[in-house]
Amino acid sequence: MKILNIDAEKCSGCRLCELACAFTKEKRIIPILGRVNVFQNYAWGLSVPVVCTQCEEAPCIKVCPTEALYRDPETNVVKVKEEKCIGCKLCVSACPYGAVVFIPEKKTVIKCDLCDGDPVCVKFCPTGALKYEEPVKATLSKRREQAEKIWEVL
Amino acid sequence: MADGYAGKYLRVDLTKEKFTILPTPEEWKRKYLGGVGMGAKIMWDEVPPEVKPLSPQNRIIFATGPVNGTLFPPSGRYEVISRSPLTGWWAHASAGGFFGPEMKYAGYDLIIIQGKAKKPVYLHIDNDLIELKSARHLWGKNVIETTDRIMEDLKDPDVKVAAIGQAGENLVRYSCIMSDYFRAAGRTGLGAVLGSKNLKAIAIRGTKGIKIANKEKFNKLLEDAFRRHSPEGRYWEYIESFRKYGTFSLTDWENAIGRLPTKNHWTGYFENAEETIGMEPMRKRHYKRHASCFGCGIQCKYSSVVKEGKYAGTESEGPEYETVEGFTSNFLSTDTSALIRANYLCNIYGMDTISVSHSISWAYESYEHGLLTKEDTDGRELIWGEDGMDDVIELLEEIPFRKTKFASLLAEGSREAARRTGKGSEAYAIHVNGLEASGQDGRPHKSLGLTYAINVRGADHLTSLSSLDELGYKEEIKRRYKKETVNILADRWDEKLKGYLVADMEELYALCDSALLCKYGVMWPPIYYHQDFGKIISAITGFTEYEDPKNLSKLAKRICHLRRCFNVRLGWSKKNDALHPRFTEEPMPTGPAKGQVVHLEPMLREYYQVRKYDWKTGYPTKKELEEVGLEDVAKELKKRKKLVPVYRGKKAFQIRK
Repeated sequence: MKILNIDAEKCSGCRLCELACAFTKEKRIIPILGRVNVFQNYAWGLSVPVVCTQCEEAPCIKVCPTEALYRDPETNVVKVKEEKCIGCKLCVSACPYGAVVFIPEKKTVIKCDLCDGDPVCVKFCPTGALKYEEPVKATLSKRREQAEKIWEVL
Repeated sequence: MADGYAGKYLRVDLTKEKFTILPTPEEWKRKYLGGVGMGAKIMWDEVPPEVKPLSPQNRIIFATGPVNGTLFPPSGRYEVISRSPLTGWWAHASAGGFFGPEMKYAGYDLIIIQGKAKKPVYLHIDNDLIELKSARHLWGKNVIETTDRIMEDLKDPDVKVAAIGQAGENLVRYSCIMSDYFRAAGRTGLGAVLGSKNLKAIAIRGTKGIKIANKEKFNKLLEDAFRRHSPEGRYWEYIESFRKYGTFSLTDWENAIGRLPTKNHWTGYFENAEETIGMEPMRKRHYKRHASCFGCGIQCKYSSVVKEGKYAGTESEGPEYETVEGFTSNFLSTDTSALIRANYLCNIYGMDTISVSHSISWAYESYEHGLLTKEDTDGRELIWGEDGMDDVIELLEEIPFRKTKFASLLAEGSREAARRTGKGSEAYAIHVNGLEASGQDGRPHKSLGLTYAINVRGADHLTSLSSLDELGYKEEIKRRYKKETVNILADRWDEKLKGYLVADMEELYALCDSALLCKYGVMWPPIYYHQDFGKIISAITGFTEYEDPKNLSKLAKRICHLRRCFNVRLGWSKKNDALHPRFTEEPMPTGPAKGQVVHLEPMLREYYQVRKYDWKTGYPTKKELEEVGLEDVAKELKKRKKLVPVYRGKKAFQIRK
């Protein structure tokens, strides 16, 4: 099982992931329709992509009264069955970090579904801030980078 | 209805406090595309020659283009168009960052500003909400303070702000417009135009979208574009270098060909630059963090910090190559901490680093030759080298406020400062048509000489510079131009055929500045060429006619001609297509291009052939203007006796395949 691994330190803030997601999922260039959004502090030059991390104990699934939100048993991904969504927005309130968004014109919520195992945001990310990889591998590669920094000092 | 556009434009009359929102006319889209193209159309229609740059009747136009804000890289820029208070001629300047796309997401292709507010104001736009808010509490504040305060006032940390600093308020002739804190619409003094209108800032927020006409085609072009920005692309080496070092990797490349302006453009070679101010030492000493503009595949942005010494803690985005040159080799200084400090001050006060550094270096060279004395300089001895940088930093603190007579003189720009000083100090004001020369030199790179001379906004590199001969992209020359021209075009010391090359670049960049991509996609490195613009414009807007090279060329020519005609109506003629004698009469004294000068005439002749200008007067020809669809323009120029009925010169040679 792979996860969407976010390395905020590498994010340059170009927002290509937002647009690529919106264009792929909604066929339109509207950043707010991206399942991922990049938040920036221009003055400090810092950027962080914020996107659903597919919680193991997903509050959005728990509160959904119509089972529109469910976990795909094969991929472990939390998905939305749009035809089942009644637009109650309980999941929007329940999500601890704003990863589920209600879109008025669609009358349903949208969220990241990892593009069925081939996330387009990862493909468009020029810096490697977004990666799709095994969780253990992701952690280890981060540790290695940390080690490399220490080597530089030694 | 064409896709790709926001669809509406906003006109703000500051005198009447009136807003008008109208659909962007289909004619503007189809005939002028966007950006500088639409800007030229509006400036021609609305700003007659009697309107002075700092008068309320002058327009200042914030313009986006169809490619802006789409996924196609690098599409984060916007253009600002007006009449320049520094040069008196046509003005445009562009900035990256996030402001441009946000304009489109808010629903506006253009924002046209006219009139003058009674008291300082700023313009707030949130989708359909438009309001003028008092800026009394912002007047006198720098760019960072202003941006922070607007975000606080509006309780919106995601609002995109374009603001002027104190330099713009005090009408410093080369003040600029800063957006997203550190991105500058730098050249030609547009900050002063906003200052003259009492408009401190524009704050914008948008959540709408852009429709793509042909999604399938767009998708294919996207794939290709991103492949070109990847290790599979031809120019990965350059992209990687920009990503790692920022644009100052150019410092090393330019010095290697003897084209790094040094000591107020006296020479083009700064000894040991690679070890002192080059990319490696800069990265090692000052690199803080990587950044990017909106939707970019190159990502040359980064921030720098001073870690030790008297400027320790100074931090700012940049510096760009031009700023590195302006505040190091230009003063014979290797003090990179002073450079970071200078860059920071220019950013917060809102000044064009190129014009301010070269206006100050005019004073340094004039002082060296005894044309300025301590009495003129507030008691300062202006000396070259690291020891002279304290005075440069002090002046950067004084110029934005016009604190002293000397600072106020320098705030007028080098041409005017030299005119007022006289005594032959004009020889050291290195400008063309009023705009200080940027970090290039025509002596080691002949086509650049022509670029400066014919440029509608003066001596700058972004309107027609050819990087092909400059950095030896010979393979690209082979792909674009006829076989028999390749060796001549690739030789940067050979003037032959360069007039045709510069005209081709001017047309390419006119498309780039109107569709609105960043110049780094067409120049350093040359990723896109004419046909790429034809395809992407067609896919996004549905103007399929631009896939035909003939129509595309007509569009590019129309934009080039119209900008020039705006200048011709103001009095531009053959005599303006000239260079500072430093480039034509003083052989390069040192470095790899030692002994070289620019022979302008042969290149100018070729350029005139392409544009069909009259060799005697420099005026355009009736038939040519009519051919590109500028019949009205031809009529008005005829009335003003600034039009030649028939072109009698030689026919231009086609270098393109």
